Amino acid sequence: MSNTEVRHAELHEPGLGNPELRKRIDDEYRWGFVTEIEQEIVPKGLNEDVIRLISAKKAEPAFMLDWRLQAYRHWLTLREPTWASVHHAPIDYQAIHYYAAPKTRTQPKDLSEVDPELLRTYEKLGIPLQEREALAGVAVDAVFDSVSVATTFKDKLESLGIIFCSFSEAVQKHPELVRQYLGSVVPYTDNYFATLNSAVFTDGSFVYVPKGVRCPMELSTYFRINAKNSGQFERTLIIADEGATVSYLEGCTAPMRDENQLHAAVVELVALKDARIKYSTVQNWYPGDREGRGGIYNFVTKRGDCRGDRSHISWTQVETGSAITWKYPSCILRGDDSVGEFYSIALTNHRQQADTGTKMIHIGRNSRSTIVSKGISAGFGSNAYRGLVKVLPTAANARNHTQCDSLLMSDHCAAHTFPYIEVKNASATVEHEATTSKIGDDQLFYLRSRGLSAEDAVNLIVNGFCKEVFKELPMEFAVEAQKLLAVSLEGAVG
Amino acid sequence: MNTQTANRYRNAFDSIAAPATHLASRRQALERFLANGLPTPREEDWKYTSLTALEQAEWHVPGPAPETAVTEDYPGTLLRFGNGRLVDADPHAVQAHSLAAHADAAPAARYLGQLAGRISSGTALAQINSALWQDGLFLHVPARRTLPPLFVAYSASEADVMLHVRNLVVLEAGAEAVLVEHYRGSPGLPYWNNPVSEIVLGEGARLVHLKLTEESATATHTGLAVVQQARDSRYHALSISLGGRLARHDTWVSLDEPGAECQLDGLFIADARRHIDQHLHVEHAAPHTASRQTWRGIAAGRGRGIFDARVVVQPGAQKTDAQQSSRNLLLSPHAEIDVKPQLEIYADDVKCAHGATVGQLDEAQLFFLRSRGIAADAARALLLRGFVAEALTLAERSGLAGWLEPHLAAALPLPEKEDTA
Amino acid sequence: MLEIRNLHVSIGDKPILAGINLTVRAGEVHAIMGPNGSGKSTLAQVLAGREGYTVTADSVRYLEQDLLAMAAEQRARAGVFLAFQYPLEIPGVANVQLLRTALNSVRLQRGEPELDAMDFLDTVKSKLALLGMDESFLYRAVNEGFSGGEKKRNEILQMAVLEPRLAILDETDSGLDIDALKTVASGVNALKSPQRAIILVTHYQRLLNYIVPDHVHVLAGGRIVRSGDASLALELENRGYGWVIPEAQEEARP
Repeated sequence: MSNTEVRHAELHEPGLGNPELRKRIDDEYRWGFVTEIEQEIVPKGLNEDVIRLISAKKAEPAFMLDWRLQAYRHWLTLREPTWASVHHAPIDYQAIHYYAAPKTRTQPKDLSEVDPELLRTYEKLGIPLQEREALAGVAVDAVFDSVSVATTFKDKLESLGIIFCSFSEAVQKHPELVRQYLGSVVPYTDNYFATLNSAVFTDGSFVYVPKGVRCPMELSTYFRINAKNSGQFERTLIIADEGATVSYLEGCTAPMRDENQLHAAVVELVALKDARIKYSTVQNWYPGDREGRGGIYNFVTKRGDCRGDRSHISWTQVETGSAITWKYPSCILRGDDSVGEFYSIALTNHRQQADTGTKMIHIGRNSRSTIVSKGISAGFGSNAYRGLVKVLPTAANARNHTQCDSLLMSDHCAAHTFPYIEVKNASATVEHEATTSKIGDDQLFYLRSRGLSAEDAVNLIVNGFCKEVFKELPMEFAVEAQKLLAVSLEGAVG
Repeated sequence: MNTQTANRYRNAFDSIAAPATHLASRRQALERFLANGLPTPREEDWKYTSLTALEQAEWHVPGPAPETAVTEDYPGTLLRFGNGRLVDADPHAVQAHSLAAHADAAPAARYLGQLAGRISSGTALAQINSALWQDGLFLHVPARRTLPPLFVAYSASEADVMLHVRNLVVLEAGAEAVLVEHYRGSPGLPYWNNPVSEIVLGEGARLVHLKLTEESATATHTGLAVVQQARDSRYHALSISLGGRLARHDTWVSLDEPGAECQLDGLFIADARRHIDQHLHVEHAAPHTASRQTWRGIAAGRGRGIFDARVVVQPGAQKTDAQQSSRNLLLSPHAEIDVKPQLEIYADDVKCAHGATVGQLDEAQLFFLRSRGIAADAARALLLRGFVAEALTLAERSGLAGWLEPHLAAALPLPEKEDTA
Repeated sequence: MLEIRNLHVSIGDKPILAGINLTVRAGEVHAIMGPNGSGKSTLAQVLAGREGYTVTADSVRYLEQDLLAMAAEQRARAGVFLAFQYPLEIPGVANVQLLRTALNSVRLQRGEPELDAMDFLDTVKSKLALLGMDESFLYRAVNEGFSGGEKKRNEILQMAVLEPRLAILDETDSGLDIDALKTVASGVNALKSPQRAIILVTHYQRLLNYIVPDHVHVLAGGRIVRSGDASLALELENRGYGWVIPEAQEEARP
């Protein structure tokens, strides 16, 4: 019997009394603190008045409110989907605060007006917002519960014509762009959670890179859920105009709470002719404790539209957090010679559940897609890859290659692979490969006999397993992601 | 299901002469079927196949006098079924019987209906079969006996009939058999064939099971085989689907005890306007079990081929070894292939892999063959032969390749026919 | 036997061969040498009829026929044989099946009767012996799971069975150990005859120790930049390609 099982057995003892052990486990989520700050919060529940209130707080133009209300009315006709390989208690949508924001009299003009408590929060998370301390070459938009609190390097980006701001600001300053592109990739009718988001989303990031401009720095948004019983519904919209290039990173954390919290975000990417968008995520929402108490329900809709010829959209995700992850970052390969990529690492430990994958919809001629998915299941975790590769009759010479691997680390975990391949063009070539393996005792023994600790040996094997995805991440993120994986796996193998 | 359709099934039920001993369970199956209705594409397992045409057609059960159809030579003992009922049996086939005549005796009574009740999907079609079956094969091989190859030829010769053949195959411990099922119908005849086979393999039993489907171009075939395997048993199946307007084959295997292994191979050719849907489901319910799937699919003309295979490794089924391979060719602009190879794993010490491809004949290989003097058409035919060969090794090993050859030759190489239906 | 006049080949906008002139007479062995990327393999592929290139020439005559007008299989039947640099794997098709189909296609063209299974096997077995190959080779799928050396020997076996008039060997020596190289060379030498011509495409001089060429050509920048006898190959071996190529690249520039 391995130590893992021993440890699980101990944890299942009634009372869960060992405070030392409890402390060690709690240590494993290092981002679980709560920021004590005065909040402005709307009462729990969802109805048209709440939506009007959100829209009014953001002083939105009429078209936004109309769109939200249309979405809300559509949402009322929908039912929560049940097809994913995840299980959870019913979500009470009337028990959620749909708006929570740090109390400020006015919108801060610069960092000196931002509540120092908030700045300390981000510093603690490793995201300094003072530009002189900020990571070189990374511009950050910091979203705290329902609102964006600060965006760095804005002036520098503006000089190139690049718009990088909170979604709320974009609605005020660039309503024509918002109106043109909002919902053009993920319509408000898309699915249950996207429709809910369309009705109630509060903030998020907005990026526009003009024709031919190569964005000189990484753009990054850091999402933080803080308020209790609140939901986070952010919306991100990135537009790369003809020939533009942009790389965008997103990171997220939340305090440890015993209740589940809902996060239902929508991300829309639009790549016009010859444009290139790289979107990287390190998702580290609070995963809940070992027994599956608490944690974020992460129901996210992400989709990119390769609208122009030779456009290129690449998704990279490292998913280590959340109690439940339900997301399928996808590409609509509309342009001829367009390229879609999906690189994913999903780790589920303890009682975490992930149902994630991608859709590659080939419409344009010579469109190409690559899918590399690495699932790691430990503890009682459940990990499913679900993907669709669809080649429409117009997509002559379309190519897809999918590699989908699962690594199993305990005999209580589950790993599933559900690929859908639909080909309607005889000149297309689609290849799918999947493997499942465990970290073998002989591998571990070999490494340990060379002097590595068991955990180092596991990390070495896991990093090797994930290498193809790590190399897609921007350098500083790749290092972070490797550390995160190691921390998330602590205690997974004894 | 609307009242008119439901009444049609009720009338069919009333018109068949079923033994009184089954009446209650048959009626129960009928009521369940009528309550659930036929599966629709809203169900995940029927995502790619619609039975609307089947639902709308006016089927009846065949008349009392079984037709005798022209038959071919089979290299083994032969049982012939015409319109769902036994027509004649080779006197040498001492272990093979009419199920209708033996349904009430042990061991048929012990197993009949037990396996079909275990499956979780496609239940409606099994239910209507349970309600309306009139006859089928009952094969019982006693312990440690080896049966010479048994051929069962099913033919349809009456328009608009629905044929719910029910087969039961029981191999006791250490028994071995080769069973070949051949489904055909008169050319151009519309009918619906809905056979259900229940197969029980005792400890160490070995069954080679070949199913060749050559239904008429206007027929519908929905077939289910459910297999239950005891310790160290082997089930080697090869399904070759060449005919029908719409064909759906469900195979459900449960590896219940350690050492059980199954190999499920197959080939489908969806040309003309054919729609061929293959569903495989393997449950690894015990440790040290193995499954292999080697499938080749070809879609041409306006054909559509579907390969959907699910391997489930249950908790505790350590040392499972499961491999799926599905390779498919699309030969014409209006053809379609849909593939869904799925792994569902609840154990950690397992070796599972699948590979699926959809593509066309390799231009480099074609050039290579042509550079050796082989004409383009012949080169294409050679490559098609090579492509399907990997799925047909079972026929080779069990001495059935010679019998199969003319059937394959008629289907390959594929003539460029856009529409024949 | 083969007369190439001003052959130009490109893929898309990218020129690869820029005016090749070459005359090969029956009974001769020609070696075409050159650094990687010089267009050697393209020349071999184009002569065998590979599609996907834009090919123009004043003329390419083979046995008084217009070679460029012939499809790949027509060329093969007329006696052109290309031993591939990277022989393809064809799962599911047995070697013997390929050989028999190919041989009978060629025989049909020559006006000879098809060989029945027995006669065919006799023919093939004698060739196997010649190349020191085991009979089990015949029943394995074409090149599937073959080692690099086995694949190359399999190419020579096909050549021996088809008995071409013009054999083009594309980098047949690459990846062979010395013993395999000798076996392959003796297979090729056994085929030498006054009616037959052989073109060896190679990067190294090594193979030419065993198959002595009558003419050696250096290909660089898409042109033959130097021709000579067997001693040229030795000189290349000693001095490398550098001394012939710079001038060639100067010329090739527009």
